[in-house]
Amino acid sequence: MDKQLITYIKDELHAGDAGLEITPQDDLLGSGLVESMGMMKIIGFIENQYGITVPPRDMTIENFLTVEAMVNYISSRQ
Amino acid sequence: MNEFATTPHSSSGALPLTSSQYLIWMGQSLYPDRPLYNMAMCFEIAGALDVDRFRRAFRELVRQNDAMRMVFEERNGEPRQILQDHIDFELDYLDWSGRDTTEKQLKEWAARRSRVNFDLGERLFDAALIKLSPEKYVWFFNEHHLIIDAWAMTLQYRALAGYYHALGDEAQPEPEALPAFREYVREQIETREQTAKSSAAAHWCNKANTLARAPAFYGRDKRMVDTASQRISLDLGPERMAALQELARRPELRSWTLHTSLFNIFASLLAAFTYRVSGQQELAIGTPAHNRTSPQQKNIPGLFIELFPLAVSLGPDETFLSLFKKMQEETNSFLKNARAGTSTPELSRAYNVVLNYINASFPDFNGMPMRLDWVHPDHADPAHHLRLQVHDFDQRGTIQLHFDLNTDIFDQELRTELPAHFLRLLDQFLANPAAPIAETALVEGNGEISVPDSEVIVPDTVLTTFEKIVGQYPGEMAVATESQSITYRDLDQRSNQLARFLLDNGLEKGDRVALLLRRSPELIISIWAVLKAGGTFVPVPVHTPAGRALGIIHDADARLVLSTSDLIDHLEMADRNIIRLDVEQAFIAGLPADKPQVTLSGRDLAYLIYTSGSTGLPKGVMLSHAALAHYIQWAGSTYVEQEVPVMPLFTSIGFDLTITSLFLPLLTGGTIIPFPETDSPADLALLDVLRDDRINLIKLTPSHLGMIDGEEYAASRIRTMIVGGEFFKTSLALAVSRQFGNQIRIFNEYGPTEATVGCVVHEFDRGQDEEYRAVPIGLPIARMPVFILDEYQHPVPNGVAGELYIGGRGLAEGYWGQDDLTAEKFIRIPALTDGRLYRSGDLVRMNRSGQLEYIGRKDEQVKIGGRRVELEEISSALSRHPAIGNAVVSLRSRRTQAAKVADHNCVRCGLPANYPTAEFDEQGVCHLCRSFQHYQENVQKYFRTMADLKALFTEKPGSADRAYDCIMLLSGGKDSTYALGQLVELGLNVLAFTLDNGYISQQAKDNISRVVQELGVDHVFGETPVMNEIFVDSLQRHCNVCDGCFKTIYTLSIQLALEKNIPYIVTGLSRGQFFETRLTEELFRKERFDADEIDNIILQARKAYHRVDDAVRELMDVSMFADDTVFERVQFVDFYRYTDVSLEEMLNYLDQRLPWVRPTDTGRSTNCLINQAGIFVHKKEKGYSNYAFPYSWDVRIGHKTREASLEEINETIDEVEVQKILDEIGYTEARKSADETGQLIAYYSAPASIDTYELRDFLASRMPDYMIPVQFIRMDRLPVTSNGKVDKEALPEPDHIRPSLKIEYVAPRSDMEELLSEIWTDILGLDRVGVFDNFIDIGGDSLSGIRLMARINEMLELELPINLIFEKTTIASLATAIEARIQTLLAAMDRAE
Repeated sequence: MDKQLITYIKDELHAGDAGLEITPQDDLLGSGLVESMGMMKIIGFIENQYGITVPPRDMTIENFLTVEAMVNYISSRQ
Repeated sequence: MNEFATTPHSSSGALPLTSSQYLIWMGQSLYPDRPLYNMAMCFEIAGALDVDRFRRAFRELVRQNDAMRMVFEERNGEPRQILQDHIDFELDYLDWSGRDTTEKQLKEWAARRSRVNFDLGERLFDAALIKLSPEKYVWFFNEHHLIIDAWAMTLQYRALAGYYHALGDEAQPEPEALPAFREYVREQIETREQTAKSSAAAHWCNKANTLARAPAFYGRDKRMVDTASQRISLDLGPERMAALQELARRPELRSWTLHTSLFNIFASLLAAFTYRVSGQQELAIGTPAHNRTSPQQKNIPGLFIELFPLAVSLGPDETFLSLFKKMQEETNSFLKNARAGTSTPELSRAYNVVLNYINASFPDFNGMPMRLDWVHPDHADPAHHLRLQVHDFDQRGTIQLHFDLNTDIFDQELRTELPAHFLRLLDQFLANPAAPIAETALVEGNGEISVPDSEVIVPDTVLTTFEKIVGQYPGEMAVATESQSITYRDLDQRSNQLARFLLDNGLEKGDRVALLLRRSPELIISIWAVLKAGGTFVPVPVHTPAGRALGIIHDADARLVLSTSDLIDHLEMADRNIIRLDVEQAFIAGLPADKPQVTLSGRDLAYLIYTSGSTGLPKGVMLSHAALAHYIQWAGSTYVEQEVPVMPLFTSIGFDLTITSLFLPLLTGGTIIPFPETDSPADLALLDVLRDDRINLIKLTPSHLGMIDGEEYAASRIRTMIVGGEFFKTSLALAVSRQFGNQIRIFNEYGPTEATVGCVVHEFDRGQDEEYRAVPIGLPIARMPVFILDEYQHPVPNGVAGELYIGGRGLAEGYWGQDDLTAEKFIRIPALTDGRLYRSGDLVRMNRSGQLEYIGRKDEQVKIGGRRVELEEISSALSRHPAIGNAVVSLRSRRTQAAKVADHNCVRCGLPANYPTAEFDEQGVCHLCRSFQHYQENVQKYFRTMADLKALFTEKPGSADRAYDCIMLLSGGKDSTYALGQLVELGLNVLAFTLDNGYISQQAKDNISRVVQELGVDHVFGETPVMNEIFVDSLQRHCNVCDGCFKTIYTLSIQLALEKNIPYIVTGLSRGQFFETRLTEELFRKERFDADEIDNIILQARKAYHRVDDAVRELMDVSMFADDTVFERVQFVDFYRYTDVSLEEMLNYLDQRLPWVRPTDTGRSTNCLINQAGIFVHKKEKGYSNYAFPYSWDVRIGHKTREASLEEINETIDEVEVQKILDEIGYTEARKSADETGQLIAYYSAPASIDTYELRDFLASRMPDYMIPVQFIRMDRLPVTSNGKVDKEALPEPDHIRPSLKIEYVAPRSDMEELLSEIWTDILGLDRVGVFDNFIDIGGDSLSGIRLMARINEMLELELPINLIFEKTTIASLATAIEARIQTLLAAMDRAE
């Protein structure tokens, strides 16, 4: 799941930038890797890929700041 | 609904518009000569710029940026864009270095230049370079929004800087190419079907149904708004900025990024601000989605943005933080669903406020510092009353706010105040996010509204003035009735005698004396006697129910009761001292007539008057002598001119409005004319009053005025009218003014009993007040300062609604025996004023003319016929009924009862569920479709063939003097055009007739002229100067425009037929329309079907139709209908009765044989632009389209599919366009107040229904008639809200109640009346009909008249003429006529036997 998410971020939000390194613990927002629109694309991807619905109230920093947090959130919803 | 151009012709390179472009293109087309979409910037560059290099760089920008080379044109009504290879443009270079250019001059120049009107078919940008000095240049760049957005401007700026840099480089590297905008456009167009089906589109479609209407800022809800806009800018500055940054970083406010947090803060603030200055809690703010979702799109300069709503609902205790949380969720939902191409016009109608938070910046220009100024073109989209632009374009480190304010909405004063109001909220948010939003004061100062003191010395009591007047006019008439006249001297002496009598009977100073007396000289003598004896009078009107009268006398602890034997003897009051004036008369007349020696001060109570109280019992309001004297002194100086006043006393003495009529004449040397109460509960004294030609001054309520509607009083002596007690509509004031020949002063006087009759007043001004729905209440009177305060008792900004608090001399002392209530209502707010203030519970606001405007009540109090009614008083009384658990009473207007929303449509014909009387079976089939099965065959028999039509015309061969065989009513639509073609093919000589109602679409007119030319038929346009009046009348009577239009067509075409001796008029009505206007089910249900009989009935109905008193009859020449022979000379033929043509066949025929083109400039159902307005009003008032019923018939008889019908009746209507039309014809929703008077509906919980009569009786002993609900609805339990109160919104709508009429309900008294009553209630869909109710008054019309008579004939097996119903218009008279008819028949039968 980590890898799927990281690949998605690289491919879709950074046009497949080969030199980019993202770890599951990286702060995606603080580092500027992802901004709000990008975050919505990731949420859309998660919804489609893992068959869950993310209600707007769950769209928080706590759940989406890092790839690791996303994985935890997804497991809690599945 | 998104509309796009047709698929592009790839060869020409033309592309349709994206949906964002389309909306801007539409907006620009509405205002072709306003620069409302110009985006202009001034980039001030500090450095020695190379002008030639800059020029070349700009040229490169134009070459690289394809969006800049787009031009727009319209083809077949649709816009498209075409990419130009080359644009001929050279940067304008202006060298101003020789002169001293100030910043102001530069700004003015830029503003002027930014206002250019771009021709959309040519270059959509303008640019200039100005040299201010060798070290300072300004690049002015202006572009049309069709090709650009704010983000794109930064891309252009950076690209230009890049080219400039590259051109300076010796090596001259190839400039970096900009990605093409046209690719994005192409992608948008190609995916638009997918987009329409996407979940995002569904999300916004659902959202559109949940949005409230756009709010009215500061109460400004002007409909017609122009584009002029003013920008007010401010910089947050370093201190606020630091606090803002700190706030945005707090964990509880942290959003995705710092910008998301800031965005959410500003969105919350803007919502809070909008709520505070509009009072609206359900709000939407428009905001752009940048729509650049891929890294590549981020680099395309072009138009991407699209506006979406952020909707929030603010609760009463909402804090900044709690609102922020709501907004944060809403923003997430917005970000997730904002997808290019999914915004809709429905969404944009919900907001008039836009937040534009721009996260884009412009760096230095090739190393040279740059300062940016965003130039406002002084125009903006008029739908956006307020736009807040938030940005830090030139990276100053502080945020700049631009408030773009529509100048029609915000006047100069508001434009100055508004940013300060916003900043106060911002500062509160920064200081304490947990603070309630409602708590922040928006304005400075105490907000006192008052007028300068008149400096007249007002005596402490009215007795002083009275004495003076008696001395001045001893022989003048003080009180006059038919049988007696009392001079001032008599009045003085007789009241002195009675005062002595009272004192002799133990009255002491301050004692209350109840007056249970008719409006009579005795009442007036008694009032003065009580005051002279030092007592306090307590008026008890004679119709007060015994229980309530006793309650008042007991509560007031009245020492004495003054009455007459006939009024008092049935009251059981053993323990009171009752003085029967009739009994004591002779004795009192023998007492000394000199003044009793009693000394009074202003603080002593003059009267105690009872008003409805929310606890279930009336409450006594204590008014001092000083308050009374103050009011009367002011009233005299305002209402009385040279003539001494002659005033009628005709309103209830228990109503404080009557105080004016009781005192004003006698304290100004005038005369009172009492009109005593009669035994009838309905008080019709007003009609006697107006017949009396002595009075010149009258005080009354708007409800009274509603009663005299239509009468002419130009010859009346009345010169001044004081109107008080309730909401006074402008339309009513205008009508009354006209009735009195515009020779009358009308005062709107506002004032609660607690502030002595009147404390705010306005003289109606016909010219000025017309723009308001209600006549303003004006300004407070001298020495009565008022305040408009919000819930935290802060003054509200001008225009914003708040509660009216009243101070000053005229305040009551409080409530008798209710200290707690007095303390609650009469309060002190030291921050505002030293004196006491009365919280009126009335919501008012200051309007734009600086007058107070009454809006409504804060609480449960309502007004019925001008009298205060606490709904809780009724419900708590009802709750005391032993069988009732809980009760609630609600005032419902008759109109809201009708407008329900349809939640489903008949599965067969599409009839909406909210169509009156619609009933559905389990399969969802409506009652009309169900019963249609049984008489379908008969319906078929009614229709005929073309051969029959031909025979009809040849039967009456054309005579020599006749040029035409028939008139064809040609609307220009497909049906009538087809019919015309067919008539010509039959070889008939046709005269085509079209009513030009002023709203026929140009394309329809073109069709008409082409078709008549092609067919070689003569054609005339009819018209009438009173068309608009007819439209308004039709909208008011029928909630549509078609009824009035049709009647005008019939009237004019009959005139034409008579003039030209033409025997037939052919209509193009559809078969569905037959059922709307001519045919009813009853006609076909008979076993013995007879088409001739139907024709006869229709003819009868037509005669009755032309006799209805409406605008057509009133305003047009209808002399030919004076006798019915006109209907022998001219006959109507419905073309579609004779032909059964499918839509496809019809369109084929039109396509191949006639030069008819489907118009594109109107709604779907019509050729007429005003029809949309009619449908809009009908939908609004009744909840469904006026086409719903005829179309259901078209579907039922197979002339239309259900889908096509649904699509048409659910078509979206352009409200803006409709509003323009309604304004044009002069239709306002305001009708006479009598029409809109609400009805009290009681809801109660009980195990079983209780007889309504029992409940009425139960309440009747406790309260006056006007407080008794018209309907009682039983429920198992009443719906409650989360905080345990009865949820009034969730109460069911009472269905179809007999409207309250002046005539009392009388139940049927015989079998015949019983039978008729059943038929009437069924056909009119009412709960009951009284036998004296007039058929038209209770909603009958010609069609229901036919149904009614057909039903009666069917049930009684009679053949009564249909128009009998229009001659015998009540059940009683109809029953008599029918019985007489039966008697005659029986007698004839007897004779025959």
